[in-house]
Amino acid sequence: MTLRTDHIAGGVFIAFGTVVLAISGDLPTGTLSFPGAGMMPKLIAVLMMLFGLLLILRAHGSKPLATLRWDDLPHAIRVLAISAAAIALYQTLGFIVTMVLLLFALIVGAERRHPLHAALYSLGVVLATYALFTYVLKTPLDQGLFGF
Amino acid sequence: MGTLDSLMLGFSVALQPDVLWYAFLGCLVGTVVGVLPGIGPLSGISILLPATFGLDATKAVVMLAGIYYGSQYGGSTTSILMRIPGEAASVMTCIDGYAMAQKGRAGAALCIAAVGSWIAGTFGVVVLTLIAPPLAAFALRFGPPEYTALLVVGLIFLAYMSSTSLPRTLLMASFGLMLGTIGIDNMTGHFRYSFDIAELGDGIGIVPVAVGLFGLGEILATPSASVIGKVIAPKLRELFPSREEWRQSAMPIARGSLLGFLIGLTPGSAHIISSFLSYAVERRVSRHPQEFGHGAVAGVAGPESANNAASTGAFVPMLALGLPTGPITAVLMAALMVHGVSPGPGLVNEHPNVFWGFVASMYVGNVMLLLLNLPLVGVFVNVLRIPYVYLYPLVIMFCVIGVYEVNNSIVDVWIMLIMGVVGYFLRKFGLDPAPLVLGLVISPIFEMSLRQSLIMSNGNYLIFLQRPIALVLMSLGALLLALAAWSFVRARKDWRTQLAEAEAGD
Repeated sequence: MTLRTDHIAGGVFIAFGTVVLAISGDLPTGTLSFPGAGMMPKLIAVLMMLFGLLLILRAHGSKPLATLRWDDLPHAIRVLAISAAAIALYQTLGFIVTMVLLLFALIVGAERRHPLHAALYSLGVVLATYALFTYVLKTPLDQGLFGF
Repeated sequence: MGTLDSLMLGFSVALQPDVLWYAFLGCLVGTVVGVLPGIGPLSGISILLPATFGLDATKAVVMLAGIYYGSQYGGSTTSILMRIPGEAASVMTCIDGYAMAQKGRAGAALCIAAVGSWIAGTFGVVVLTLIAPPLAAFALRFGPPEYTALLVVGLIFLAYMSSTSLPRTLLMASFGLMLGTIGIDNMTGHFRYSFDIAELGDGIGIVPVAVGLFGLGEILATPSASVIGKVIAPKLRELFPSREEWRQSAMPIARGSLLGFLIGLTPGSAHIISSFLSYAVERRVSRHPQEFGHGAVAGVAGPESANNAASTGAFVPMLALGLPTGPITAVLMAALMVHGVSPGPGLVNEHPNVFWGFVASMYVGNVMLLLLNLPLVGVFVNVLRIPYVYLYPLVIMFCVIGVYEVNNSIVDVWIMLIMGVVGYFLRKFGLDPAPLVLGLVISPIFEMSLRQSLIMSNGNYLIFLQRPIALVLMSLGALLLALAAWSFVRARKDWRTQLAEAEAGD
C-alpha cells in the first residue's frame, strides 16, 4: 500500500482526538439533556477522530507521501528559530532592540545578505515603525529593560 | 427613520475628513496587501488591528474593512502583470489576465478588473443597504434556539460550500471547534485545557490564530528563492479597453456581481469560491469557450467582480446577525468588540452612527479604490520591486507586534508561532485553514446557545422543532444534508468535481 498524505493527516487528527479525550477525564460530562463542561470538547474530539478516519478511508485520491517536497523546510526552520528567539526576548529587550536583532538575523542569517545593508535596513525600518506607532498612532510599543 | 435618511446619516459620518482619511488609509493599505504575494487581507487586518486602538469604533471598522475590499482590488494587479495571485481570490484572474498582458493588453485587463470590482462592490453595498436593516430587525426575534439552529445550518453550509473536500472541511472545522472550547466554561466556571496558564483561561484569541495560520504560515511555506520580481508596468494611456472589450465584459461583470454577492452570504471562503464559480459559469455560457486560458476578457471581468461582491456580501450576516461567515469577518467582529460595539441585530439601533457610517464609507471606499487603482497602478507595481528577502522579515515583525499589542500578552505571540507551524503543515497536506478559524469563532457561541436552549426547554431537544424560525432553519439544514446524501448515494459528482471539470474544459 502506498502511504499517502491523507493517511498521515487523518492519523495525526485521530491521535490528537485521543489525547484530548485522555486529558478530559476530570471535566464533568453531564447528560445529553444537561451537558457539563466536558461534553462539548469530548463530542468534538470524537467527531474529529471520525473525520480523520474518513480522510484515511478516502486517502486514495491524495498525493503519495513520497511526492511531497520538503526543500523549503530548512528555510522555514531557520525563520522559525529566529522568530522564536525574538519572541523569547521581546519583553526583556523591548521593541527596538528585539526587532532590530530579528530583522538583522533574518536577512543575514536566513538570507545570507550583506551585513551592512541588513543593519541599516533593520535599524531604519524599526525606528520608523516605532515612531509611527508611538507618535502617529498613539499606540506605545514595549520598552523592555533599557527603557526604549 | 427610513433607509434613505439613515444612509444620509451614514454619509454625514463617512464624509467627515478624519473618517475619509481612515477609509483612504484602509483602501491604500488593502491595495498594497492585495498586490504583495504572501500577505493576505486577513494578516493585513490582524496586523493593523492594534493601530486602531486609539480610534473610535467607526474609524476602526472603516479602515479595517477598507483593507479587506481594497485587497480584492489589489490582488488582480499581480495576477495580471506577474501571474502571481496577490491573494487567493485572484487565482482565476491569473489565467486570462496574464494571457491578456502577454498580448499587450495588460492595461485593458487592469482597467476591466478595476471597473468590474467597482461595479460589483457598489452593487454589493446597495443590496447590503437594502437588506441588512430588515434582516437585523427580523433577527431581534432570535433567542438561543434560533441561534443554535442558525449555527447548525451555517456549519452544514460551510461543509457544502467549501473549496476543498467535505471530510477535509469538516475535519478543519472540528479542529477549530475543539480549540474554541479552551478556557473557562462560561456556564460552570470549569477551566478547560488551560494547563495553569492564566492567559488561556480566556480562551485562544482569533487574532493569534489567524495571523499564525495566514501570515506566518504563508511565510514559512514561501521560500524566498521562489519569489521572482519580473514586473510588466503598463503606461496610463494603455489603460483604456477597446469598445469590443467593454462589450465583452458587461455581462460577466453583471453575472459575477450577483453570483458573488449571493455566495458572500454563505459561510466559508466566499471571496475565493465565488471567483472560481464565476470563471466556470463564464466559460460555460461563453460562445467561445476555447478563448478561455488565452486572454478571454470574461475570464478577468467575471471572477474579479465576483470576489468583490462576495467580500461585501459577507458583511450582511456579520452586521445583521452578528455571525461571521469567514475568518476575515470574524477578525472585523473582534475589532468592533474591542471598541465596545457588539455586531448583531441590535447594532443598527444601538450604534446607528457606526452601522450607517460603515455602510456609507463602503460607497466612498469603492470610488477611492477605482481612483487609486487605475492611475496609480505604476506606483503599486513598484512595491513589487522590493526584494522578498527584505519584505518578509518586516511582515514577521508586524505579525509579532500586531498580536502582542491586542492583549499585551506574550502567550498570544507564542500561540501565533505555533499556529504558523500548524499552518505550514496544513498547506503541505492540502488542508484549508479557513474552516478552522471559523470553527474557533463559532464554538463558544454555539455551545452557549445550545446549553441555554436546553435549560429553557428543561433538557428537551424538541425545542428546536417547536419554535417556527428554528424549525425552518433546521429543515433547511436537513435539506442540505439530504442533498449531499443523495449525491453520495447516486454517486454523482459534487459541485467541486463539476467545477474542476468545467475549469479544465471537459
